[in-house]
Amino acid sequence: MKWRIVGLEAHDAYFNMAIDEVLLERVKDRLSPPTIRFYRWSPSAVSIGRFQSMEEEVNVERCRELGVDYVRRITGGGAVYHDGRGEITYSLIGPESEFPKGIRESYMEICKPIIEGLRLLGIDSEFAPINDIVANGKKISGNAQTRREGVLLQHGTILYSLDIQKMFSLLNVSKEKISDKMIKNVEERVTSVSAFGNFSLNRLYGALLESFMKNRECEFGMWSRDELELTEKLRIGIYGTRKWNFSR
Amino acid sequence: MECRFKYKVPGGKLIETVVMHNGISIESVRITGDFFLYPEEKLEAIEKSLTGSRIGSTEEELCAVIAGVVSKEGIEMIGISPEAIARAIKSAVSK
Repeated sequence: MKWRIVGLEAHDAYFNMAIDEVLLERVKDRLSPPTIRFYRWSPSAVSIGRFQSMEEEVNVERCRELGVDYVRRITGGGAVYHDGRGEITYSLIGPESEFPKGIRESYMEICKPIIEGLRLLGIDSEFAPINDIVANGKKISGNAQTRREGVLLQHGTILYSLDIQKMFSLLNVSKEKISDKMIKNVEERVTSVSAFGNFSLNRLYGALLESFMKNRECEFGMWSRDELELTEKLRIGIYGTRKWNFSR
Repeated sequence: MECRFKYKVPGGKLIETVVMHNGISIESVRITGDFFLYPEEKLEAIEKSLTGSRIGSTEEELCAVIAGVVSKEGIEMIGISPEAIARAIKSAVSK
C-alpha cells in the first residue's frame, strides 16, 4: 500500500480538524490515498475530546484574549493545549485492515514510529496504555483514534516544549489549584523533547518523518483542490461553529 | 433537579454524569469525559436509553439498560464501561 506523506505545515484548529474528517471520508470512498500528515497549530489552540464539555474544560474567555483557537475533536480523549511552537502533531488515515483489529493493539502499533523517532534523537520512550507514550516515566505524546466504515484515523501530539503556566491559564482549573505545587506536579508527570537536549523542532520533525516512512511505501504529496474545498466547507460549517464546539 | 457526579475509573478515564430528574424518574442524562467510545455518535443512544429509569434503580439495573444498548448498537468503550456509567449515574442521584 502506498501512503501519501504531507509534510509539516501550520493551520488553524478548524482546518486541522476538518481535513482529518475529509480524509476519513475520502479514504473510505477511495477518493484520497491513505495519508500521513504532520502539522502545527497556528494560532495556538486548545482541543477537547469528542465527549468533553467546552465550558467545563476550557477558559474560553482567556483563549479569546490570547487569540488561542478552541475546537472539539472528532476523537475522544482529553483537553490538549497545542502550543504553536511547542509540539508536532501527526494524523494517520488509512484502511483498518492495515492495522491490528483491536483498538488498544492498533494504538500501540501506530505509536511505534513515534517511539522510534524519539529513539533516533537518543530519547528512550515506551507505550503507556491506553493512548500515551512516556519518556523517563513522564508523558511525552498523547494520541487519539477513531474509525469509520473500515477506515482508521489516529492523530496525536509529540511535545517539543512546555509552557505550563500558559496551559493552566487556558484550561479550566480553579485558581486555587494553580499553585506552585500543582505546576510541580504536572512537571513530574509531563515532559517534552526539549528536556532531553538541545534539539530543534526541525530535527524532531526529521526523526518522525524518517520513522513513519520506514517500512512503508511512501510518496510526498499535496492536498488536491477537492480536498481543500471540502475542508473549507467543514472548517466553516462544522468545526468553526458554536453548535459543534459547545455541543456538550 | 440537576445532579452531577464525576469520578476517575480505576485504570481508565474520567467520567462525569449530569442527571436531571423529577424525584421519581430520570428525565435526561448527559455523559462527558475523556474516554473513548465507538461509534462516537452512539453515546446519545446510551443517554436516551436511561430516560424514564426510576431514580431508585440499582446500579445493576442501570447497568443492564446500558449494556443492552451497548450490545444492540455494537458499541465499544475504552476507559469506561457500562458499570462505570451506571455507578456515575447512581452516585449522582444519590447525592
